[in-house]
Amino acid sequence: MSQEKYKSLLELATQNGTTYDLGEGAGGGLVVTGTAPSEEARQALWNEYNRLDPDFKSNDLILNIGLGDAAGGGGHTYTVESGDNLSKIGKQYGLQWKSIWDANRDILDDPDKIYPGQELKIP
Amino acid sequence: MKPRVLTVLILALAVFMNACGKSDKDLAKAATDKLTADKVTGVTVAVNGGVATLTGEVADVTVKSNAEASVKSVEGIKSVTNNVTTKPLPVATPAAPDPLLTGKITEDLKKAGCSTASVSVVGGKVTVTGEAPSAVYAKCIQTIQQSGIAGVDNQLKKGR
Repeated sequence: MSQEKYKSLLELATQNGTTYDLGEGAGGGLVVTGTAPSEEARQALWNEYNRLDPDFKSNDLILNIGLGDAAGGGGHTYTVESGDNLSKIGKQYGLQWKSIWDANRDILDDPDKIYPGQELKIP
Repeated sequence: MKPRVLTVLILALAVFMNACGKSDKDLAKAATDKLTADKVTGVTVAVNGGVATLTGEVADVTVKSNAEASVKSVEGIKSVTNNVTTKPLPVATPAAPDPLLTGKITEDLKKAGCSTASVSVVGGKVTVTGEAPSAVYAKCIQTIQQSGIAGVDNQLKKGR
């Protein structure tokens, strides 16, 4: 079972302060959804994953680890819905569209192009 | 003469009991206390001849191994048989419908420098094909797995 295979990964997560939930994915694999306290902690988990399953070829684990608020990657996020634009989202938070644009330059290429499902950082 | 024999017997018995260490009952209590102290719940300990058997159902395989380590550390426990089982996991549901996931992952891959990888999503399960340079290979896989998918079929080739 995947849980036994990835035991050391889960133990590492517990040690380095990553919180997680387990689920069973499509095809019976293990799905680990969680939050790491820092990018280093997340990378350590990915290194361990790569060690246990070289090049991630076994398809028996989904490692979905986000970063917590303390890591600076958190704060509030907004998930874009159909029909949204930056001005409209900005209004909901009392912000100019440009401050949202500035905070999300890493994921947005064009302020007029945002897509449903995208997660925008709200500064 | 007789009382002396009795004294010897009692002494011998006392020495024998000491050599044996604690009784199984004492060991079981010590092990249970140790589990409580280590905040392991849902595990029951039975001790027979110094061998501890763990039973119960826990949420996660790490709890199972912690329980074993805790009980092993109790003085007098010779070995541990770990029969603890893990609870069946809830079925993970994909974060978004298939077409939305396809769009999101494709965008994310582009940003991660993995535009030579392509994905198709069916029922939250993602099939990845194409090729990625070895320098970004792990990042491509990470990008895909962090998109809220429920399964993966990784056919991505690792390039140079």
